[in-house]
Amino acid sequence: MNRRRFFLLTLSLALLLTAAPAFAQTYAIRGAKIYTLAGPPIENGTVVISNGKITAVGRTVAIPSGAQVINASGLQVYPGLFDSVSRLGLTEIGAVSATVDTNELGDYNPHLLAATAVHPASEHIPVARANGITHAVAAPAGGVMSGQGSAIHLTGWTIEEMSIAPSLALVLNWPTVQTQTFDFATFTVRRRPFTEVKKEYDEKIAQLEDWLEAARHYAQATEKGAADKFERDLKLEALARLVRGQLPVLVMANDHRDIKNAVEFAEKHKLKIIIAGGAEAWKVKDLLKQKNIPVILRPTQSLPGEEDDPYDKPFTNPGELHAAGVKIAFATFDSSDSRTLPYEAANAVPYGLPWEEALKAITLYPAQILGLADKLGTIEVGKLANLIVTDGDPLEIKTQVRHLFIKGQLTSTDNRHQQLWEKYRARP
Amino acid sequence: MPARASRPFLALLLTLLLIGPAPVSPAERPHAPPFYAIRNARIVPVSGPVIENGTIVLANGLITALGANVAIPPEAWVIDGKGLTVYPGLIDALTNLGLQAAAPAAATAVTTIEQALEQARRQPISQGPEDRPGTTPWESAADNLKLDDKRLESWRKAGFTAVVSAPDRGIFPGQAALIHTAGERANELVVKTPVALRMNLAPVGGFFSFPGSLMGVLSYIQQVFLDTARYTQAWATYEASARGLERPNYDRTLEPIRQAVANRWPVLIPATWAKEIHRALALAVQAGVNPILYGAHQGYEVADVLAARNVPVLVSLKWPEKDKDADPEAEEPLRVLRFRDRAPSTPAVLAKAGVKFAFYSDGIANPADILKNAKKAVDAGLAADAALRALTLSAAEIYGVADRLGSLEPGKIANLVVADGDLFAEKTKVKMVFIDGRKYEVREPSRPTEPPTVNLTGKWTITVNTPQGPQESTADLKMAEDGTLSGTLTGPRGTASLTTGWVSGNKFSFTVSIPMGPRTLDATYTGSVEGNKMTGTVSLGPMSVDFTGTRPQEEN
Amino acid sequence: MKRNHPNTGGTGLWPVLFIVFLAFGPPARAAHAQNPTVTVIQNATILTVTQGTIEKGSILIRDGKIAAVGRSVRVPAGATVIDATRHFVSPGIIDCHSHIAVDGGVNEGSIAVSSMVGIEEVIDPADIDIYRDLAGGVTSANVLHGSANPIGGKNAVIKLRWGKDAKGLLFAGAPPGIKFALGENPKRSNFQPPPGFPRRYPNTRMGVMDVIRQAFSEAREYRKRWQDYNRRKTAGEKNLIPPARDLKLEPLVEILEGKRLVHAHCYRADEILQLIRLAEEFGFKVATFQHVLEGYKVAKEIAAHGAGASTFSDWWAYKVEAYDAIPYNAALMTQKGVVVSINSDSAEEARHLNQEAAKTMKFGGLSETEALKLVTLNPAKQLRIDNRVGSIEVGKDADLVIWDKHPLSVYAVAQKVLIDGQVYFDRQKDIAQRAAIEKEKKALLEKEKPKKEEKKPEEKKPSATTQSPAEVQP
Repeated sequence: MNRRRFFLLTLSLALLLTAAPAFAQTYAIRGAKIYTLAGPPIENGTVVISNGKITAVGRTVAIPSGAQVINASGLQVYPGLFDSVSRLGLTEIGAVSATVDTNELGDYNPHLLAATAVHPASEHIPVARANGITHAVAAPAGGVMSGQGSAIHLTGWTIEEMSIAPSLALVLNWPTVQTQTFDFATFTVRRRPFTEVKKEYDEKIAQLEDWLEAARHYAQATEKGAADKFERDLKLEALARLVRGQLPVLVMANDHRDIKNAVEFAEKHKLKIIIAGGAEAWKVKDLLKQKNIPVILRPTQSLPGEEDDPYDKPFTNPGELHAAGVKIAFATFDSSDSRTLPYEAANAVPYGLPWEEALKAITLYPAQILGLADKLGTIEVGKLANLIVTDGDPLEIKTQVRHLFIKGQLTSTDNRHQQLWEKYRARP
Repeated sequence: MPARASRPFLALLLTLLLIGPAPVSPAERPHAPPFYAIRNARIVPVSGPVIENGTIVLANGLITALGANVAIPPEAWVIDGKGLTVYPGLIDALTNLGLQAAAPAAATAVTTIEQALEQARRQPISQGPEDRPGTTPWESAADNLKLDDKRLESWRKAGFTAVVSAPDRGIFPGQAALIHTAGERANELVVKTPVALRMNLAPVGGFFSFPGSLMGVLSYIQQVFLDTARYTQAWATYEASARGLERPNYDRTLEPIRQAVANRWPVLIPATWAKEIHRALALAVQAGVNPILYGAHQGYEVADVLAARNVPVLVSLKWPEKDKDADPEAEEPLRVLRFRDRAPSTPAVLAKAGVKFAFYSDGIANPADILKNAKKAVDAGLAADAALRALTLSAAEIYGVADRLGSLEPGKIANLVVADGDLFAEKTKVKMVFIDGRKYEVREPSRPTEPPTVNLTGKWTITVNTPQGPQESTADLKMAEDGTLSGTLTGPRGTASLTTGWVSGNKFSFTVSIPMGPRTLDATYTGSVEGNKMTGTVSLGPMSVDFTGTRPQEEN
Repeated sequence: MKRNHPNTGGTGLWPVLFIVFLAFGPPARAAHAQNPTVTVIQNATILTVTQGTIEKGSILIRDGKIAAVGRSVRVPAGATVIDATRHFVSPGIIDCHSHIAVDGGVNEGSIAVSSMVGIEEVIDPADIDIYRDLAGGVTSANVLHGSANPIGGKNAVIKLRWGKDAKGLLFAGAPPGIKFALGENPKRSNFQPPPGFPRRYPNTRMGVMDVIRQAFSEAREYRKRWQDYNRRKTAGEKNLIPPARDLKLEPLVEILEGKRLVHAHCYRADEILQLIRLAEEFGFKVATFQHVLEGYKVAKEIAAHGAGASTFSDWWAYKVEAYDAIPYNAALMTQKGVVVSINSDSAEEARHLNQEAAKTMKFGGLSETEALKLVTLNPAKQLRIDNRVGSIEVGKDADLVIWDKHPLSVYAVAQKVLIDGQVYFDRQKDIAQRAAIEKEKKALLEKEKPKKEEKKPEEKKPSATTQSPAEVQP
């Protein structure tokens, strides 16, 4: 059976890997249809991988001697999928706080790095990988400034081997004006007075501005060589990069007003802003286009925000943004669900997002948005060889990932789920 | 639910209560001979055609005669009714007047798990139907009346001579009574008790106490009626032949419910939305009781069902409205917008379908708003005489007291409201009411006559300097051209409507009524205005405290 | 966070347990049913589920039932014709675990046995999630009480007849059921009350089983009390006082008598096995194990007991008992002879159960038909309504979904959804009426705005202060 053969192949690859020497390998993937995303697909093409990078791609490419050849005829090659906001490595079992490292205490932790807590042995990583996710951003959550997201490869014995960029973007949870609140006394949704909620919001924004002003002050004093005159402040040091425009801010915002406020705020403070979430981004798409602000969308498989919103609003949102000229990416904002990334993109396709755009929104665009497009996102010579070989459209559910390369290494798709499946399938 | 006292009031009131209760006993009144005649008046009997120029005679608390040509007995004190209209005294078909106002325990919204736990700890935990949560059917409104509830007077001044008052806390809060809004002793107020058993469907428990869900409440009610049926049967069997039978236990919960079922007391069941109306009807069938539904704002959708089932309805005059301090950008569903738009058409639709209905105030704080809101039903298609009937005879019929109240007919109790025009006209003023044939003048509160030189319309932030420190609230005021003030005062947790208010020159005064513990107290704010600033004092009984107010410049 | 993870997972416990649906009224979106009695769907690829796939086939619907299916179906005069060229028709999707359309809380969480409460009494026909799920092709749903109690409340099986009142949503004739729950939720592992607050028994899986065993022991006693009473009454004994009726125990007696289906929320293999043995001890069958994420470990025992298994496609790791969850679960249990369904437990997930079913082709290699059965025929079997729904067969209710692509494709979009032969969802009409909804809202908001200080020329209206009071003289 096809499935069985696939399994044996994976198993043998896994064995091969365990036995493989630590030095970089050369591979040639031959006979596949290659979706480079840098140009039209290449029928019956070859990709050569060496020293972790793509060294050749095309129809007629010489296969270096000593290269391990993977016959991929009838298969397709795509750039590896990129879950650009995830919790991978940061959480293992949601309900067990001992295994969860996403949320630090306190509202302002701009200096924390997700990479510090990424658990390379998390079972979630191989599970995501098996579905073609080759790299991801591990993003912290909670508070106002949660910390900085880190880009990681989904393989590696240590975080150092996994790391792509430890300090990629600052996660800022935009304070929201929420009058609906749950009343635990009556078990009903209650409404708080708007003036009261708005006041709290204004206070939070003022606090945010105070932090930025302090950071500018700190940056200026440091630049002028006065660093020895005051104590080092790790938080302000991190924020100094933000106010200097060296670190983008990943603003978590779904409500259209929040997005608008965040955009205005970023403009006022000259921050490099990326919207993450963006459930109601369609309501402010012109603004986003005008200011050239990209959006990393939360899962399309969500319910509409308002009762009267069209039932398919979460599905049409990506297409509407694309049509308006807004750059979008998809992400799962999750760990155990990271493997569903391709479906989040796929679900936008019948509702107006062109297929290739959907694909780019989980490969190239997130790399561009996060400043990693020189390394990742397409199959081009010189880029890191993070790519997948599939038996079909990677956005389609029944498609299987046959081979997976991360940093130029043929990487196992074996995982906890497959192991449990095998174990209990064999139960007499 | 009555509007809750906002924080500043609470602070003041706490202080006030510490020094002792304010003396709010009813004023001593002279006892005039109990004979009256009003002549030359327009008389609207409700039960019959309008008498354009007639006389009505009252004696010993009853109506003895009315008509175009009625002899006035010599002992009668004659009132010239020229320019006046005489109506039956109005009836507010469901209130908690005269009863303990809802305790201010939940004055603050519980928004955290910690607060919920704190609150839950303070309540007895019910571990199932056998613990009889929120069940006090023995509580009788008639036995718990407090004459010092100032609302009795304010309702009376607005033309309400009788109200149905019922305990309102819990699933089975107790027994409703039909009471007068005046009398010298509590027992004199009672016209009939009980007139109904009240039910609520809101969960009284939570995650720790039964029932914590609507389905829990519904199943609990069902269980109580099953228990009642068995209780009834057990006692009947035992009473018929006690010898040799185990004696059933007396149960103070089931005893009044047994009476209610046996004597066919109507049962008041809340139902605002159509689905709740369906649910309440099903519940009544299940329990085997005669329902009176109250709320009924979406009755416009199910009038045919109500008509077919011949179920009387109390329509709440507290029409749904947009939240006062709502997020201006928050989107409201079409479902809710339609509901708000159509709710006032419910009475017209019910009338057309032949459903018997009456009106009730449902927590409206200012009784003047009751008629104003009834007028909205008229604007939405209800005939004016039908609206009047819903405030008089229909209420009496629903509660089974139409033989004594609700219309102007010889032999009925002399409850009258005398106004200087059509009751539903905005400028009409109630001049006097009669209750049990006794006259109660309604006097205009005195106010200066100087025209206003400032305009108080707008939102004011008011800071009261209480002994506990400054407390903020918001007054949303509207000033008519003659200086009459209306509007609301909102503290962090509640809103109260102004009962009276005026501006004269740059001076102003307005009063809000705050239900507080066993009584309602008036807080009167007086002061003067300069531009967008006001200063003055707020008085509560013998206490007074300074306050300041500012009006932020309106945007745009 | 992304989806509503299964009821009460970890930090997700509070939000889910405490969701209280607001009381609301009639649907903004009008129901589409025009009440045609005869309808023909033509030129479709028909996925019958039980009788293979029919290319370019037709379905004749008469009085809400499927009257004919095949290549050549004659169109009766006056029939409403739906052209489904290049479209696919599948049976309506059945969601075996839903919490939509419930008013006032899905959990009576205060007590360990809440069998006296029932969803049927609190159905909210205006819940917009009914419409949203309908638009995803769901035609029937098993609306369940939450999982806060070892023995929870009674269920309601509904059809998603959007626009009908609560009674009109009920699936008439569906056997009644009840929710049980095992493991972390009923023992409240992920929700510990702070010190000083009473904790509810049970606190362990031992206690969970004890609560269930105790309840059934009581139910047996209760049944016996009534049997004794009825016997003595029939024997003509006088002055008998009947036993008290107990709404908590009556549903349990129905379970003992095989008249009520048990839907047991569970995760771990061992607790699944324990409930099977307890059920055997009391002589009843578990109708479905719900979630049953470790069902693959004891598939043999589940199949032998004859219970169904209703699981998630690929959720895992949200709590300890979900850590061994695998996306192969549905396929593996199917292959071991269990009747398996895939459910949503979430208004959102229900919108794409077809996609969730497709995952079993990827994980475990089920065939298309096997995969489709997981959300159609199998849940129908589990709810004992497969004589009415679940496949496209003559005589069954015309609960059908017309898709633009094969429903197991991620790109498929439901175009029309029929229940009892009536179109309750029509994508084109939905799109067409969006503008009207916006317009009506705008108009209503406009109407509500306080009238701009009507600057009427105050026509000689005297102010109240100068108005002479009417003479009131004796």
